[in-house]
Amino acid sequence: MSRFIQLHLLTAYPPANLNRDDQGSPKTAKMGGYDRLRVSSQCLKRTWRTSDLFQTAMSDHLGTRTKLLGIDIYNQLIAGEIKEKDAKDWTKAMAGVFGALKKAEKDKPLADLEIEQLVHVSPAELQTIKALTEKLIAEQRAPEVDEIKLLRLNEQAVDIALFGRMLASSPSFNIEAACQVAHAISVHPVVIEDDYFTAVDDLNNGLEDAGAAHIGETRFAAGLFYSYICINRELLVKNLDGNEDLANKAIRALTEAAVKVAPEGKQNSFASRAYASYVLAERGNQQPRSLSIAYLKPINHRENEDFIADSINAIIKQKDSFDKVYGACADTRCELNVSKEQGTLAELLDFVGQ
Amino acid sequence: MDVLVFRLYGPMASWGEIAVGENRHTANYPSKSAIIGLLAAALGIARDDEEKQQHLQQGYALAVEVVAVGNLLRDYHTTQVPDSVGKFTYRTRRDELILGKQRLGTILSSREYRTDALALVAVRTLANAPFALAEIQAALLEPKYHLYLGRKSCPLAAPLQPQLITDQANYFSAFKAYQHKPMLPTSIASDGTLAQRDYDWLGRPNDRHYYWEGLPEDFSDDTLALTRRQTRTRHDQPLSRKRWQFMPRQEHYLFCSGGA
Repeated sequence: MSRFIQLHLLTAYPPANLNRDDQGSPKTAKMGGYDRLRVSSQCLKRTWRTSDLFQTAMSDHLGTRTKLLGIDIYNQLIAGEIKEKDAKDWTKAMAGVFGALKKAEKDKPLADLEIEQLVHVSPAELQTIKALTEKLIAEQRAPEVDEIKLLRLNEQAVDIALFGRMLASSPSFNIEAACQVAHAISVHPVVIEDDYFTAVDDLNNGLEDAGAAHIGETRFAAGLFYSYICINRELLVKNLDGNEDLANKAIRALTEAAVKVAPEGKQNSFASRAYASYVLAERGNQQPRSLSIAYLKPINHRENEDFIADSINAIIKQKDSFDKVYGACADTRCELNVSKEQGTLAELLDFVGQ
Repeated sequence: MDVLVFRLYGPMASWGEIAVGENRHTANYPSKSAIIGLLAAALGIARDDEEKQQHLQQGYALAVEVVAVGNLLRDYHTTQVPDSVGKFTYRTRRDELILGKQRLGTILSSREYRTDALALVAVRTLANAPFALAEIQAALLEPKYHLYLGRKSCPLAAPLQPQLITDQANYFSAFKAYQHKPMLPTSIASDGTLAQRDYDWLGRPNDRHYYWEGLPEDFSDDTLALTRRQTRTRHDQPLSRKRWQFMPRQEHYLFCSGGA
């Protein structure tokens, strides 16, 4: 079993402002002496762990978005000939784990079983709820506290096992994150551009005042980013109490999210969603290293005809050079190269998730 | 003396100074606590394994050669957390950010990093060192936990390439004996100095900053004019990882311009 799983991704974004600094400008960093675009690691992690994809990928695809989870449970309990009052109490206990419940209303008897917001329920969670409901009907009893906690155990466990938890007040609950995420940095130098924009007032007939109703300014830049993730599989399995199956699901979910989910900053202005163009996954026990140094000398789009192909060549060359000089840096590898139509996401996920 | 020399390079690094809260500064060279932490991670010693951590902290003396100091990067960092809603528990980060959206408050902080920095570290055993240098070397090649440059989001971007350098008169000669293998492709590996291409892209790595603990003579004979050294106190000798406490230690500093 390999201890480390490393993921190297190249993702191209059109003009966007994915991750802002205190001035509202896209974040930058110097590398090789040139200013680059940057997306911070915490921004990436937030993007992935809040994505629907991350949660649904834990089991099969397609979760359910609903406020009516409680109503559903209640109806099942009633159909199972549970008394109305009991059914309501048990439902509240179960649905309340997924979100805060609404307040009771006079003329809507079941209003207090509804969840305030739309919640996302994964197929696995729906399964667990169904199983518990059936058990309660069969055994004619209220759910126990531990059973209720179990309803969301997997999602909670995976989130914390991958990304860690730090509670200063009770260090015994701290969990060391099994996943390391680097700041994503553009492979080329970048100049942040200013967009000066105006908005007109549709009801202003221009007779008295011909000016704009609003002027503003927004900063943006386009970039091809190199991102790097390193998962310590051994630590992940340990964090998940030895559940290898769940660990594999977690790795698959994270990988898929990293490939397909983009940071959400200023989406309404730029709609800059992007999938990765190239992914290299590596497994092995050797000391992990990112391949960012491939872009220490920036890729120059004026010299290069095919920007993405050149960036891919640079990373492959860097990987090979490291192997040549220092000995093999990984045991096995798997590639996904969109421009050459090599590899598939399914193969990649099977490779990382064993 | 015998020393284990290895290289620390990554596009971003952060060598924390004592600071908790709004401003998290970085020093311009690796702190002892960060290096000991890196060794502990490689060896698979958990943060809360107080006894083994103690032994590691007391067992080794260090010297650092800063090859490229790089640039300072200030990162504006925000964290959103919701306040609590009655009895409801947020079970995942996703819950906090999506179910708790109406109640999110923002915590601001500013974090510093160094970019384009490259340093060498020399490790020497003291009495009661729990691991031989060769064991540490093996652990660095196949580490148990993640290795990183001060912050978990700052991975290594080149092999550490640890070399066991034996029978040296001092730290300086050990640093000179270290074979820099090239990091960038098509670099020409030369006489142990930094390969030309690496050298060019890391920006003027001609000046050297040296830091070491112990006696002034541990570093070199007097040809480097040790009288020019500065001796200062730094609060980075880990005392307890669990309680996050650090003790002061004395450190010498020597600046050599022009590639000494």
